[in-house]
Amino acid sequence: MSANIRPSGVFDTSYAQEMRINRTRFDQILSAGFLGVILALPLLSRSGPFGIDLVQPGFLGTVERIAILMIAVQGLNLLVGYTGQITLGQAAFMAVGAYGTAILMRHGVTFWFALPIAALFTGLVGLIFGLPSLRVKGFYLAMATLAAQFIIPWLLRNPLAPLTNGASPLPVPRADLFGLEISGLPLYYLLIILSLLAMIAARNIIRTRTGRAFVSIRDNDVAAELLGINVFAYKLRAFFICAIYAGLAGGLMAIEARSLSPDRFDLRNSIELLAMLIVGGTGFPQAPIFGVSLLTILRETFIPSLTPSLQEWLPRLLPFVDSVNINAAIAPIIFGAVLIAFLIIEPRGLAYRWEILKISWKIRPFSH
Amino acid sequence: MEIFGQPGFAVVQGLVAGVLTGGIYALIALGIVIINKASGVFNFAHGYMMLLGALIFWTFFQNQELTPVVAFALSGALLTILSTGIRYPAAWTRSGRVAFIAAAWATVGFILLQTDNLFLRALVGTALGAALVGLLIERLTIRPLIGQPLFATVMMTLVVGEVLLGVTQLTWGSVDRSLPIFATVNALGLPQAYPPIRIRDVLGGTVVIKTELLIAFGIAVAAFVGFVLFFRYTRLGLSMRATAENADLAQAVGLRVRAVLATAWAIASVLAALAATLYSSSTALSITMPGLALRVFPAVLLGGIESISGAFVGGIVIGVAEKLGTVYFGSDVGEQLIPFVVLMIVLIVRPSGLFGEERIERV
Repeated sequence: MSANIRPSGVFDTSYAQEMRINRTRFDQILSAGFLGVILALPLLSRSGPFGIDLVQPGFLGTVERIAILMIAVQGLNLLVGYTGQITLGQAAFMAVGAYGTAILMRHGVTFWFALPIAALFTGLVGLIFGLPSLRVKGFYLAMATLAAQFIIPWLLRNPLAPLTNGASPLPVPRADLFGLEISGLPLYYLLIILSLLAMIAARNIIRTRTGRAFVSIRDNDVAAELLGINVFAYKLRAFFICAIYAGLAGGLMAIEARSLSPDRFDLRNSIELLAMLIVGGTGFPQAPIFGVSLLTILRETFIPSLTPSLQEWLPRLLPFVDSVNINAAIAPIIFGAVLIAFLIIEPRGLAYRWEILKISWKIRPFSH
Repeated sequence: MEIFGQPGFAVVQGLVAGVLTGGIYALIALGIVIINKASGVFNFAHGYMMLLGALIFWTFFQNQELTPVVAFALSGALLTILSTGIRYPAAWTRSGRVAFIAAAWATVGFILLQTDNLFLRALVGTALGAALVGLLIERLTIRPLIGQPLFATVMMTLVVGEVLLGVTQLTWGSVDRSLPIFATVNALGLPQAYPPIRIRDVLGGTVVIKTELLIAFGIAVAAFVGFVLFFRYTRLGLSMRATAENADLAQAVGLRVRAVLATAWAIASVLAALAATLYSSSTALSITMPGLALRVFPAVLLGGIESISGAFVGGIVIGVAEKLGTVYFGSDVGEQLIPFVVLMIVLIVRPSGLFGEERIERV
């Protein structure tokens, strides 16, 4: 999980450069260019000012959801990738943030207060389910968070049903800024900016004392304790931060989707978030960008475009397959196959491959 | 007579139903424990293996002709298993082994193709199909991960579950099915369930017990005892325990560790199919079957994830807690909340479970 591989010939000449978010000129140009393209996307769509029909409006929705999920996955990255704790409950924490934001907004609280309050509350819930990390770790901790994944949706479905509409969808009011409704383009930019801020914040956490403590706990928690790090306090802090990120993502999901139901936050969604982290590269700061983009585009663009042709020829190839079932079955199979391939062939993920690519570009023609 | 505000007979019925369901839970837990003991992997995909196994059983149990291709493929799987997985008596010559394999192949193919005894056909077909599923999962997804961190294996079993879900949806769809294996045929030729057992005048009411559940419990307990004996007395069972203890040492003394790991997955898969079939015989075979395995995870942890006897105790305890919770608070609390509350309590009070091993760590 070493994030510090660098091409030969690239070295830091000052502490300030070592600590920078973008360390080299190439990194700076690339991130600025990437951000520019993302920000320019809506301008090239049909609803943009120039009327160029280059980008499908549906794709903008996909980018919005990528931005939201990136926040949740970055939270996971801090907890799983940097602190080395396993959690299977990230979707449940997202549910807390989403329902918290929605309920506060339905009671007349403005979105700008509802979102941080809900995120903080999610952080507290995360602390509660992080408590078992005092005694257990590894697989047992995964089980404890699995319990969170079932207890939280149960609470939303049953005892809290008067507030959450139970298992039926809960409509969410529109967010507004000084009386202006946020939807369409403003929503797109809001999500991109918040996602960017969350990424930078995570990068910042990693290069502070807290971040170094996280990494030392991941590498060897017993040794970290001997070094004088309060392991339990830092583990709880990691759970808190992770849950805040999840809450933030959940709240944004609430205003993006405008309707919530507990099914959107079940175990399979948690697995999907973890899968995004693994595909991206556990323990790399860019992991969410790679992983979330790849799997979300796979699910929202690639698989729907593949389904009609599969419905055409799969029943002919395999006589026992009913074409009615293909729609529900194809997503888990492709998703699972992609992830199995990643776990076996490249468990360090796309971010690691990206670093390798940069190295071999730098030292070409002597690739390795 | 009332016990804590509920009629006494209802509580007794909950208790009995809990113990009977707990027997099936114990069987599910046993499958998880076997895999964990042999390969150190906690199998989150167990619920999906159960679903697939029960659906395979349903397919064979249907009164329809089987295509020879399927029969051939399944008996071919048997052939592969027999030719690589079994340690033959030393006295057998090469031709003797070939004859044995050919005879087994022919017998199984014959059983699979006939439709007179559906139950026997389904038993043989399911055992083979489920074993094949287990072997494939082990070989394709788990073995390449040996030496990888725990997180990777946890993730892998979760994702294998996804793939199995996709495969079952693709092949069988998501409709509920009935699996009346413990039933008589009525005058119209339709399967008819056995009448439930009624015990009158127990604490002011009648206790009703489903006969299917009682039979299923009996089979589950018998299978459980069988596996305990298998692990205690047979050569394969002993070598599985040795491998679980220390895979390197086991390999050093000449045990075939790869075969042992594969066998563990095959056995667990067959157990999953058996438990799922027994469970759906008393209710229905539905796509929500994997949720059942999630409720059994607390039972595994309560008993201790390395403990076979713990799996039994844990299964019974969770079964009783669920049914009593249903009697007192309704089924949404009993089935969806109580197992996980038990899980949290176990993790906080005694993470290694009742019969598990405590771990000591050094730098």
